[in-house]
Amino acid sequence: MTKTVIPIGPQHPLLKEPLAFQIMLEGERVTDSTMRMGYVHRGIERLCQERTFIQNIHLVERVCGICSHVHAMTYCRAVELLLGINVPPRAAYLRALLCELERIHSHLLWLGVLARNVGLDTIFMYAWRDREVALDIMEALSGGRVSHAVNIIGGVRSDVTPEQREEILEQLTTLDRQVNWLLGVVEHERSLQTRTKGVGLLSLQQVRRYCVVGPVARASGLDADMRRDEPRTPYDRLSFNVPMHTAGDVWARTLVRMQETLISVELCRDILKEMPEGPLAVRAPRRVPPGEAISRSEAPRGELFYYVRSDGSDTPARVKIRTPTLPSLLTLPQQLKGVTMADVSVVLSGVDLCIACADR
Amino acid sequence: MNALIKMLIFPGFGFLFIAALAFDWIDRRMIARFHGRVGPPWYQPLADFIKLLAKEDVVAEGTHGLAAAALPIVSLTAVMTASLYIPVGGIVGASFEGDLIVVLFLLALPALAYFLAGWISAGVYSVLGGHRSLLQYFSCEVPFLMAVTCPAILAGSWSINEISNFQAQTAWSALTQPLGFILALIGLIGKLKRDPLDIPKAKSEVVAGPLTDFSGRKLALWHLTMNMQTVLGIFLLVNLFFGGSRFFNRVPALPVFGLKSVAILLMLSTASALYARLRIDQLMDLGWRILAPLALIQILATLWIGG
Amino acid sequence: MIRTASTLLENLKTLAYLLPQLGRALVTRPETVRFPFAPPVIPKGYRGRVEIHPEKCHGCGLCVRDCPAFALELQREELNTFKLIYYPERCAYCGQCEVSCTFGAIYQTNEFVHGTDDLAQLVVTLVDRKPA
Repeated sequence: MTKTVIPIGPQHPLLKEPLAFQIMLEGERVTDSTMRMGYVHRGIERLCQERTFIQNIHLVERVCGICSHVHAMTYCRAVELLLGINVPPRAAYLRALLCELERIHSHLLWLGVLARNVGLDTIFMYAWRDREVALDIMEALSGGRVSHAVNIIGGVRSDVTPEQREEILEQLTTLDRQVNWLLGVVEHERSLQTRTKGVGLLSLQQVRRYCVVGPVARASGLDADMRRDEPRTPYDRLSFNVPMHTAGDVWARTLVRMQETLISVELCRDILKEMPEGPLAVRAPRRVPPGEAISRSEAPRGELFYYVRSDGSDTPARVKIRTPTLPSLLTLPQQLKGVTMADVSVVLSGVDLCIACADR
Repeated sequence: MNALIKMLIFPGFGFLFIAALAFDWIDRRMIARFHGRVGPPWYQPLADFIKLLAKEDVVAEGTHGLAAAALPIVSLTAVMTASLYIPVGGIVGASFEGDLIVVLFLLALPALAYFLAGWISAGVYSVLGGHRSLLQYFSCEVPFLMAVTCPAILAGSWSINEISNFQAQTAWSALTQPLGFILALIGLIGKLKRDPLDIPKAKSEVVAGPLTDFSGRKLALWHLTMNMQTVLGIFLLVNLFFGGSRFFNRVPALPVFGLKSVAILLMLSTASALYARLRIDQLMDLGWRILAPLALIQILATLWIGG
Repeated sequence: MIRTASTLLENLKTLAYLLPQLGRALVTRPETVRFPFAPPVIPKGYRGRVEIHPEKCHGCGLCVRDCPAFALELQREELNTFKLIYYPERCAYCGQCEVSCTFGAIYQTNEFVHGTDDLAQLVVTLVDRKPA
């Protein structure tokens, strides 16, 4: 057998963000692989110490290009804990609404990337077309497609008007139909299944050892979802179930993500229907009393963790971000062992890479 | 003089060139419509071709320069030679008993050149793609050849034109041998390395396969070869499985032939929008365990019927 | 017999699951927006160009202090003599200035800002206050 070393990345059509792999091949089979990351390290945690609490909202929103709102929201929540203020219920509902829309957007985007990487361009186009609906709703709500900038410390800044509400409910019906169809494709399309079943296996033990979170962990049978395990308004008032699978392969992850998308559409509807009236924000002081706080929330890719320490000034002394993609990135060499060269693309897209999140 | 016109204009290079660009456009447009997009305007394939011709031609270090220049020309020549023996709507460039075998041989040459293009390149993606293209060639060519043999057996001739005319008197081979037609279609997709069997040039795995290091004029010639191969493969299938013009006696043969070819092209476009790419081991399984036995059954059935 | 036929049918369906949708795509209008020929749809609340009501500005500098992209600059000579300068190419269009302004002076329109190399558009003087 000939041994070849195939470089994948930092520039490769498979990767949308820079990440480097050296893949040792024996024929078509992967025997070993090494990973190099850090190409998009921007030093955001350090930058946070240079800027004020308010400026940081917009800085941490740029950690990730897909789940931007949830970063800003989790950061704001940590600062609000330090300040000891509670956001008004309407603000909490609006934040959750954008969270769920972002989940829909992220999961549909991911399905498109996976389909593209297995050569099923049709689904890529359909998934990204349907994702456009979620983006349109978010743009109408917040004024931006990707960076929403709705969070302020103490609440949110943009509201839903009754007309907008009706319009969004209508758009959600379309989205519901399309996502249902896409779920059907994942469940029934034969060629997609032949490529994704049994590929990129992660056992429950491995998931526990690497502290993997989010859909990847849920596809391997780890029942964890921050929305349910640490319920905050409005999730404590809404009922939803957390999809789980035990197969632990890329197909199971696809199923988990698409089912989550459906549930998110449903949650968006519930949030819009049950949204209470009231103020959007409470006034927050600029100086934050000394202390430290942690805040966790369920980003599209899993549990997102923020730690904020203040020394009493208007600048944080330390901000630590733990993004959900980093542990699943670290499992990649494990998952790659023994698959064929053709499956590398499936494995890499299966964990929903967000290198910008992982490098920060 | 007549021979020169046949070689250069119809059904030779000029016609083939236009048909290749037109088929490329129809294909891209159809797939775009399947995706819910608009697709490129009609002049896009020509514009792409001209742009590639005008681009800087880079030969990567470590690549055999002479071979890199010769391979696209060799494969283009083979494809254009093959075009002379494939009748277009009953008009024959050249024909003799046994030209089917010559055409099949000439259409196999680009596959070899494609593999060599990967082999002489210095890049790992090219080498890997070259290996894959050879593996794919073996698993797709066998069912394709076996399926293509069936109409010949039934007609009792190895001349494409005669097989086509034979069907005009009886019935389309696609109707008498539907299994053979489907196998030939799958084999053709594999031969042309189209979606969903674009394994040797899968973008997310081996970038562009053997052609990764090619650029400029050479890449333009490669693309032209590929498109011409598509056209010829479709023409061959039309002649072998939808031969003659029995059902349309009043209409001239050429438009009917064009319609049949576009119909097969649409089948290819639909297949590429329908399926995900297979893995190379899955393709080997499909080729040897399913397609080849089925082709054998078709040959036996044809022998039994046509005896 | 019927059951085997129906499972066979199911299996065949999985072999061409996308086919009905492909047919539907052929008869529905494509999603492509013919951009330069058809104007883009911009929602009312789109966060675009930053503008100001100059008469409302007090020159307090809150927007300058909160701007995460350092796109605003306050040049103050005296209490009533100051300039508020805006650099659109630095702006992140986050709208923090609008939130921070206590007088409702600075605001965002929904006008999309294109990149430019025109110096006059790169440095915009929003307020040029001189004592009356």
